[in-house]
Amino acid sequence: MGIRAVRWLTAVYMTAFLLAVTWPGFLLFNRVTPIIFGLPFNLFCIALFIVIGMAVLFLLYRSEQRRAEEER
Amino acid sequence: MERWQIIGLIIVAYLGVTLSIGLLSGRKASKSVQGYVAGDRDFGLLVMYFVLGASVFSAFAFLGGPGWAYSRGAAAFYILCYGVLGMTPYFFIGPKAAELGRRRGYVTQAQLICGRFPSRFLSVLIAALTLIAFLPYITLQMRGAGIVIEAVTDGNVPLWAGAAAAYGVVIIYVLFSGVSAVGWTNTFQGFFMLAIAWTLGLYLPIELYGGVGQMFEQIQAERPELLTVPGLTASGDPWSWGGYSSAIIVSAVGLMMWPHLFMKAFTARSDRTLRRTVVLFPTFQLFLIPVFLIGFAGVLYPRSPDSPDFILPFMILNSDLPAIVVGLFCAGALSASMSTGDSLMHAAASVTVEDGLGPFVKLSDQHQRLLIQSFVLITGLVAYFFAINDSSSLVVLLLTSYGLICQLAPPIVAALYWRRATTPGVAAGFAAGSGVAVFFFLTGYFGESLRPFDLHEGVLGLIVHIPTMIIVSLLTKPQPEARQAAFVELHETEHAAATP
Repeated sequence: MGIRAVRWLTAVYMTAFLLAVTWPGFLLFNRVTPIIFGLPFNLFCIALFIVIGMAVLFLLYRSEQRRAEEER
Repeated sequence: MERWQIIGLIIVAYLGVTLSIGLLSGRKASKSVQGYVAGDRDFGLLVMYFVLGASVFSAFAFLGGPGWAYSRGAAAFYILCYGVLGMTPYFFIGPKAAELGRRRGYVTQAQLICGRFPSRFLSVLIAALTLIAFLPYITLQMRGAGIVIEAVTDGNVPLWAGAAAAYGVVIIYVLFSGVSAVGWTNTFQGFFMLAIAWTLGLYLPIELYGGVGQMFEQIQAERPELLTVPGLTASGDPWSWGGYSSAIIVSAVGLMMWPHLFMKAFTARSDRTLRRTVVLFPTFQLFLIPVFLIGFAGVLYPRSPDSPDFILPFMILNSDLPAIVVGLFCAGALSASMSTGDSLMHAAASVTVEDGLGPFVKLSDQHQRLLIQSFVLITGLVAYFFAINDSSSLVVLLLTSYGLICQLAPPIVAALYWRRATTPGVAAGFAAGSGVAVFFFLTGYFGESLRPFDLHEGVLGLIVHIPTMIIVSLLTKPQPEARQAAFVELHETEHAAATP
């Protein structure tokens, strides 16, 4: 993926993250059951969003780094 | 030997190790302001990761976090939500700020803002605001340390002595080694508190309920209101969605604008280090989960502590753990308090001298460094005075600090990305935004809450701040082309310059 695409992906994901954890988006995930890995469903979802967020940031880091090397 | 003495010995050992790390770390740093405030711009990934992570993982996380989960339930989840959102912009802003710092010698956030928008008014306003936001924060860290020590030693070491011992150590290492001490002690403290948080976060639910899942099932059966967002307010009523959502927004905008965190951009060895730190930072958010579990473990416990903030020490002391474990827990909690407190004290002193006095008096590098060190001592003493006396009014100040700190975001973004921004525009926006935040905070505190939809006063401040900044900027004369380009187009030229 090109650097622009990855930057877009990051912006889109972070916007989606914001909408998903605030009102009204979070209403979709705001349940206690099923309990996953011992965590209530809503807490598990937040943890999952964070982990995916890290993956997106990692992708962004990789592509920025590649660009820096190409320019060298 | 009595139980509390064993615990006391472990605490002394922990403080000793921290002090040695702090003193040793400063040997290599240069004796200049850059060395003292920005660590000669030579922090690697490990230290950067822990310095940012541990500064966030404060006494609030260790005492307040479990307290929130215990008394307000799912309301605490908001603390998990803002980390990733708040850190992401730093991926771009951080390296840009760092490059400007290298080129122009900046070591604080206000120097960066006022480099683009020269204004003594702005510089002093930012310094004053930083101190207003920091003092209650430092005080609470000290008080937290004192409370923990007093609790685990059965009152044999009173609050004033515990706080004095822990922060005596902090002041010594910050005085001698500056930000290098902050970095290396935070690394040690970070490891420590993570180990403690995970161990206890899993141990307590298993011991008391048979497992984490079982714990939540029982809470769901008896106190279901605690497990759905937005949870409860401090007084036990249901919290509003407006309050919950805007708390996330304000915290996300404000997170990296805290001067003690933003300034760390100037300490990183390279852009690559900074970016890697951003990628790894969210792991610290996940480390908050076991801390919440400790708080939830207290929900169905038959007895309750005097204040929700004491739930963690209360659970520890009531679960018949061996003295060594209690001692280690205490060291973990002290780590959380001290790793935030040192960073805050160091930043408060640096900002006071560089931004509060810097624009008015010309000082030699050596004198600046000396003055910063004196202010570390002064800040420490003032905070200590508040910490050992009743500081309930300071807690109130802390609540609004995020509302003020997030007003630093528009000036930073404008300085780095918006060519047409002008000094009057930024100053007017900043003054208006802070004014609105303070107004809504004070009316809510002294009388009736006037905030629409229960929105956080910081968000209301931003709603006024941003349009004011844009309109006033457009109405005033644009800045000289060279100045705009020096800040906004930096990124393109930087890559060319980086080519060997």
